[in-house]
This record gives sequence, structure tokens and C-alpha cells, in this order.
Amino acid sequence: MLNTLITHELRTIVLSPKFSLTFAVTSLLMLLSVAVGIAQYHDAVRQYETTTALTQQEMREARGWMSLNNTVLRAPDPMQIFVAGVNDDIGRISAVNSFRGIKLTHSTYSDDPVYAVFRFIDMAFIVSVVFSLLALLFTYDAVNGEAERGTLQLIFSNAVPRARYILGKFIGAWLGLIVPLCIPFMLSALLLIVWSVPMSPDHWLRLLTLYGTSILYVTVFIAAGILLSTATKRSSTSFLYSLVSWVCLVFIVPRAGATIAGQIVVIPTVAEVEAERDAFAKDRWARYEETLQTTWRSRNAPIESMTREDREAYREQHMWEWMEEDDRNRKQVQKDIDAFALSANEQQRNRKAEQERLAFALSRFSPASAYHLAAVNLAGTDITLKARYEDALNIYRPLFTAYKDKKQKESGGMGGIRIEVNTDTGVKIDTGREKGVLDISDMPRFEQPQRSFRDAAVPAMIDIGLLGFFSFAAFAGAFVRFLRYDVR
Amino acid sequence: MEQQPLLEANGLTKRYEDGALAVNNVSFSVRPGEIYAMLGGNGAGKTTTINLFLNFLEPTSGEARIAGIASHADPLAAKKHVAFVSENVMLYTNFTAVQNLAYFVRLGGRTGYTTEDYRRVLLRVGLQEEAHHKKLKGFSKGMRQKCGIAIAILKDAPAILLDEPTSGLDPKSGYEFMQLLGSLRDEGKAILMSTHDIFRAKESADTIGIMRQGNLVMQQSRAALSGEDLERLYMEHMAGVTE
Ligand SMILES: Nc1ncnc2c1ncn2[C@@H]1O[C@H](COP(=O)(O)OP(=O)(O)O)[C@@H](O)[C@H]1O
Ligand SMILES: [Mg+2]
Repeated sequence: MLNTLITHELRTIVLSPKFSLTFAVTSLLMLLSVAVGIAQYHDAVRQYETTTALTQQEMREARGWMSLNNTVLRAPDPMQIFVAGVNDDIGRISAVNSFRGIKLTHSTYSDDPVYAVFRFIDMAFIVSVVFSLLALLFTYDAVNGEAERGTLQLIFSNAVPRARYILGKFIGAWLGLIVPLCIPFMLSALLLIVWSVPMSPDHWLRLLTLYGTSILYVTVFIAAGILLSTATKRSSTSFLYSLVSWVCLVFIVPRAGATIAGQIVVIPTVAEVEAERDAFAKDRWARYEETLQTTWRSRNAPIESMTREDREAYREQHMWEWMEEDDRNRKQVQKDIDAFALSANEQQRNRKAEQERLAFALSRFSPASAYHLAAVNLAGTDITLKARYEDALNIYRPLFTAYKDKKQKESGGMGGIRIEVNTDTGVKIDTGREKGVLDISDMPRFEQPQRSFRDAAVPAMIDIGLLGFFSFAAFAGAFVRFLRYDVR
Repeated sequence: MEQQPLLEANGLTKRYEDGALAVNNVSFSVRPGEIYAMLGGNGAGKTTTINLFLNFLEPTSGEARIAGIASHADPLAAKKHVAFVSENVMLYTNFTAVQNLAYFVRLGGRTGYTTEDYRRVLLRVGLQEEAHHKKLKGFSKGMRQKCGIAIAILKDAPAILLDEPTSGLDPKSGYEFMQLLGSLRDEGKAILMSTHDIFRAKESADTIGIMRQGNLVMQQSRAALSGEDLERLYMEHMAGVTE
């Protein structure tokens, strides 16, 4: 009996005239997206390799250890083919040197604005927007459509348990929509192999989990469509409701979450933070000036009564001491200002994290948000990607500068330019350039932050669980509604 | 020895939520090998009665029994013993006649039919062979009613419920349909049919019950029917219609 119901529903969907065309088109769209993604990935890899090689070359030809500067590139990851996330928005390059902090610059979109205009449509987007709509369009009249056509009556003139019927509907619709979804999934995987994208076992696991999550996400909309078809009498009503709820769940709720979170947790803008820091610095320097004046006065006090020569001698005697003291104070002021800026940044970052958490929590009411969050976490193109790289770079930077200092000491050269003036030999300028190229073979390399399957799956777990809950709740709703559905 | 009735209404009453009393304390029974015609105009309560048998509605009081099982108490057990043909048989338009048959027959709990069985039954109900494997999209009402009765035949239940099965059919199709019902009666089926057509009822029914405003106002066996009875029945019937 259940088999009969399932096969019938499956055939109804698969044999419907709209089915083959829609699935052919959407599958093609998905394959196209993956193909473009792979091409862009290979481009990114080429760019990464040439730039890295170029950097190495430049470092070897540096004027000396003193002027050795490193540039680190964010390596492309195959998962960006499926879920772009923030990948194209955040910088790919950071200079690593002793005098400037880490800053990732040169994002894909800032380098090639045309890409930002025609944003890359990734697989996750197609699933979240197109396949959710398809799921609704093929299920919104699952039950009330049959009631309208009059077939429900004939079905229930037989000894058909209602629970089994609605279960058969769900399973049939699920198979009818998920199996065709798996075809572009498998072909995409095939494309990866054919175009030799270096996928590690962890990558495959992450991709498989992403596929599973996508299926779960579409399941939510299948169950929601069936729920709407049992909650309304007329299919024209449920059609309208399904469109409205699709727009709300896929487009409005995710953004509303971010907007509301922005209203609740107010973050000072970067400009405000900078202004605050400048004000602090100004105030700090003003106080420094004040103390400087009192110091001068106290320094001059004992010499008021001295003779001119004594005064000169006294000054001469204390000159170094005073200069060092002033320098110490100045350095202290700079240190205070830096500390203030650091803590302000830290606060800003914490507030931002708090806002993000709230935005995610609010938008998670939508399965589309939950899916998106799970997808970016699985792909590693989530919002923490930038921080992960900055952290790794901040670990690398002292290693690199230490190496540079060590090399510089070993080579004995001071670096820079030495000018010797000798009455016998005249003026001699030494640029400090070592002979030949620098040997940087033992330079510490930057370790690209690795994301294991566990690292990716654990933060995605909550959203995957949420999608499971949404599916279950929607189906339970449909089930309960149908037990009392008027089948006449 | 008198056989047990297969279809039985005992004080069957239905009052809709809006207060309309659609069926009022109706009692009758249909035995194997009997055609019972429920005769009445629009709104007499015929469809409501049949819906009560199929448990599409809960009775307000009384009960409808199929093979001795009260429909509202154990609908799944009761429905095993009955086949249903509605006023307007609705099937899946993007499936063929045979595919529709196969689906509904399986839901009726019958398996093991061959394509030959479907062909035989469809020919028996008078559906031309070239239509068997056509999608139902272009089928006329008469063709759909034929498919409906074919499904009922294949379900092979001892009782059959038909709600105005011939309304809207041309005279020839209506006649053939009634002939078919007669042959099913001869096979021993208990048949409850609603109709507003007095002549058709008299032609083939073994028992006629006249319904008017939810009440079973009269019940008469075929044997008791005579020329003047027909006139009287007709008048009573029309009185129900003009109400
Ligand atoms: N769903 C309903 N709700 C309220 N009243 C109804 C409903 N269905 C039928 N009725 C009323 O019940 C009465 C009997 O209707 P019905 O059984 O359909 O008659 P028939 O089939 O003999 O034409 C009519 O007066 C009709 O208006
Ligand atoms: Mg009726």
C-alpha cells in the first residue's frame, strides 16, 4: 500500500510536463556554476603560484636582510567552488614585515570590480533559491489539488489509512525531487575529478556533508509545501502562500535578522573608533607637553643663580640624561596610545561578534539562513575566514621578523647605507649589499590555516540540526492537519 | 433463508455544523443480489447518506454498516467491503485508463491483475479498446464513469455504492450502465444507488426508497410496483424536488 502511494506520487511528479524541463534547466545551471567555479579556482591557483614565485624571487634579490619583505597569499581552496561565502570579498594578500601590522588586501572584487557586478552564482545559492522554489512548486497542491480534482474521494473510498497516505505523499515527493537533485551533484563531483581539482579526503567529506545538508534543506521546503497543501482548501490559496513564504524565508528573514541585530547591538563605526583614538592621542600628547614644561622648569630651577659658564657646564653634564628621560616619556605616550587603540579595536571586534551572533540567531528562523551558515562553515568560506588568516599571519609575522633579524646579525652587515669619510681614502659609500642573492631556503614558510572536516562540521552542526527540526516540524504539521482533512 | 444485509442504515442522522438536517433518522438495508435505488431530488440527502457510509462524514446519530461493520467505528475494515462510484468520477488526467485502474485497484487492496484483466473489464464496461492506453485528458464524462465502474468491478467488493452514476449521460450510455449494474447484481453484489431519475430506478431497482428533505418517506419493492404506483411515486418525488 505505502509502496503504491509512493510510486504513484513519484510518477505524478516525474511524469508531469513541467518536471523534465525545470530539472534539466536547473541541473544545467548548477553544472554551469560548478564549471565556472572550477575555472575560477584554477585561475586563482595560477595567480597564487605565480605571485608566490615572484615574491620569492624578489626576496632573494632584496638589497639585504634588513630590507627583506615578505608577502603572503591566501591559498585558494576547492570548496570555494561550491560556496563562495566571503571568499571573494576579503583580501588575498598581506605584506609581512617588521614595521607594519597584518592587513589582508586585494580581494577578488576590489581587483576585478566586474566580478562584483556579476557576482559568481555558486551551487549553495542555486540550492537555496532555486531548489527551494522548485520544492514548493511541486508540492504546494499535493493534497488540496487532489481534493479539488476529486481523486481524493476515490482514494479514501478504499481502506487507505490517512497516515500512510500523507507519508506516501511525502516520501514520493521527496524521492521525486531529491533523486533529480542528486544527478547534478554527482556530475559536479565528476567535474572535479575530470578537471583535476586537488580534493583531499577531508574535502570530499565536507562536500558530501554539504550535499547532505542541501538535501535536508530542500526537504524542509518539500514538507512545507505539503503542509501548505493540507492547511488550505484551495490550491490557488496555497500557491500564493507558498510564494509569499518563499520570499519571506529566503530573502526577507535572513536580512531582517541582520538589520534588527544592527539596531539592537550598536557598533561604533571605524571612523568613530578612529576619532576616539585621535582624541585620546591628542589629550595624551597635550598632557605630555604640560609635564615637559614643568620638567624644564624644575630642571632650570637649580641653575637660576648660577653663572653663565656654570650653567653651560651643568647643562652639558645633564644633557644625555635629560634627552633619554624625554625620549622615555615620549615612548611611553606612544605605547599608551597604541594600547588604547588595541583595546578599542578589541572592543569593536567583540561588539561586532556579539552583533553577528544575534544576527545569526535571529535569521536562523529561516531555513535559508541556517542552510547558508551551514554551507559556509562546511566550505570554510564563513565569516571567520578573515580572522583565521589574520591569526595565522600574526603567528607567522614574529617568526619571519626573528628570522630576518637573525640573518642580519649573522651576515654582520648593518644593512642600509654606510658612508665613511676618511681623509686618506676619501668618501666611501657602502650599500651593504651582500654578494649574489640571499639564501632564503631556511626561511620559515607561512602555514596556510588548515580546516579539517571536524573543524568545518562542528560549527555547521547546529544549523544542520535546525534544518532537521524544520523538516520534522513541517511534516508533523502536515500530518496532524491531514488526519482531520475533509476528503469529500 | 434470508441473507444478512451487506449495507445497512440504522436511524442514520446527519446534522451539518450550520444546523442543516441533511439526513433524518433513515433506516434501510441492501442484501446481496439486490439493487436499492435511493430516489430523490436535489438536496434530498442522498449524497450525505452515501458519504456517511464511506465515513467521509461522522453521523450525528445512528449508524451506517457495511458487512456488519459500523463505518464510523472502524472505517478501514468497513471500506474493504465496498466499492464506490461517484456522480462524477475523477481520475488522473495525465495517466492512461489502465494506469488509473492499476493505481486505484491496488489501493482497493487487489493485486495480481494482468493487463489482460484490465482489457477485459474495460471492454465489459464498454470502453473502446483504443482508449485503454490513452491519457484521460480528453475523456468524456461517460468514459470516466465507465472507468469508475471498472475500478469498482476490479475491487471485487461485495457491496457497491453509486451516487447518481448516470446523471448527465446520454440515454444510450445510461441504459448500458444500468444493464451493467444488473449483471453485477446477478453476480450477487449488494448495490446502493442514488438517483433522481424515477424511470431508471424503476427499470432496474429491486427496491426503491424515496428521500425527501432528509427523510426516507417511502420504500417499496419492485414486486409491489405497478403502473399507478409509478405515477404516485413520481408525484411524491417531484414534490421533493420543488421544495
Ligand atoms: N457541507 C455541507 N454543509 C452544510 N450543509 C450541507 C452540506 N452538504 C450538503 N448540505 C445540505 O444538506 C442537504 C442534503 O444535501 P445532499 O446530501 O448533497 O443532497 P442530494 O445529494 O440528495 O442532492 C442539502 O440541503 C444541502 O444543502
Ligand atoms: Mg448529490
